[in-house]
Amino acid sequence: MNESDADVTDRMLLQRVSMGDRAALAVLYRGYHGRLCRFLSRVTRRADVIDEAINDCFWIAWQKAGSFHGDSRVSTWLMGIAYRCGLKALRQHGDEPFDDDMLPGRLTAAENLDDDRELRDWLAKGLDRLSVDQRVVVELVYGVGHTLDDVAIIMQCPVGTVKARLFHARVKLRNVLPALAGDLPRPQEQASGKQVS
Amino acid sequence: MTFRIDSDKDCSRAWDAMPWVLQESATQEQREWLKGHLAHCESCRTEFAQQSRLRLAMSLPSDIPVDANDGLRRLLCRLDAPDLQDVRSGARAGSWLNRALVAAVLIQMLGIGALGVQLWSANPSAPYRTLSQAALPAPPGAIRVVPDAAMTLADWNALLHALRLGVVSGPNDVGAYTVAPVDSASTAQHALQRLRATRGIRLAEPIVATP
Repeated sequence: MNESDADVTDRMLLQRVSMGDRAALAVLYRGYHGRLCRFLSRVTRRADVIDEAINDCFWIAWQKAGSFHGDSRVSTWLMGIAYRCGLKALRQHGDEPFDDDMLPGRLTAAENLDDDRELRDWLAKGLDRLSVDQRVVVELVYGVGHTLDDVAIIMQCPVGTVKARLFHARVKLRNVLPALAGDLPRPQEQASGKQVS
Repeated sequence: MTFRIDSDKDCSRAWDAMPWVLQESATQEQREWLKGHLAHCESCRTEFAQQSRLRLAMSLPSDIPVDANDGLRRLLCRLDAPDLQDVRSGARAGSWLNRALVAAVLIQMLGIGALGVQLWSANPSAPYRTLSQAALPAPPGAIRVVPDAAMTLADWNALLHALRLGVVSGPNDVGAYTVAPVDSASTAQHALQRLRATRGIRLAEPIVATP
């Protein structure tokens, strides 16, 4: 399903939500949970805070579904709500430093069967050098695939601000990521997913 | 030198294009151009490889365990219950309002108390009398006097001063005053005679206490 089709489906679901359809809300919730979870993990690493922010996000979506006028895609609208809920949760709970040991479900190195573990660690160390806003912009552009205009809507700031945040984030990452790679395989060998076609 | 500037411009252009090529929102022309540039620019090739790796890492699912089913269940429960946060914030607002009202009442009470103390100390024996209270008994030697309407205030004051009389009450509805000797040196009988003899006094009668 391409983005356009997905947005049409989302709009139908949101319209049903505005009429009090809980089944539609559940479909939206399940459809966006993973995306929002990863997005909010760029704001905080605490599972309980992420969970609370997602809950708040859909609580607001439930209440405001009727006021959605379709000026943007539903995904952009929801991401904007989630972003503000994430910042609110961050203000309430503080910006605790990330500690791997705090994650209850985190696999240890000995039992890790995930081939992406090194890639995750490399990314986590790189993102740790960025501010929250820079991490969010990088996630929205590289992770979710939003345009600059979408990111500006989500973060409620001018496009120029988004460009500046993305630029500074990329410069920081360019400076630290190669060193963080250490003895990992060369990027060309590992990044087998994307190449210019 | 010109080649160097052109190369920098191309590298800058390649830098700008990389995110959009990676997320496949770039135009076919941009993709072709970047592909051509990367073919001969090792620096941008390295950067693009790192950007590709970044994109790959960013697209991995979250490694933080958050149970969607549990979250959805709690969300649906929340829809049925009043928002505790709203209730809490409402309670907080109500609490502040109550405190403000209590503070205002206390300030008013203090102000009224201070004003009362000040008035009491300024005139502690103010002779207030309400309409429901019985009329005060006339002082000994009191005389009811009706001056002529044409009598001036100066003449009236001079007469009272000369007879050492003071106004106790009045005038009433018919213009009568009650006067009494201000000291024991003047006698009521003498004053009564002088009043009756004075021009401008229409009536002067002693007030006899009711038995």
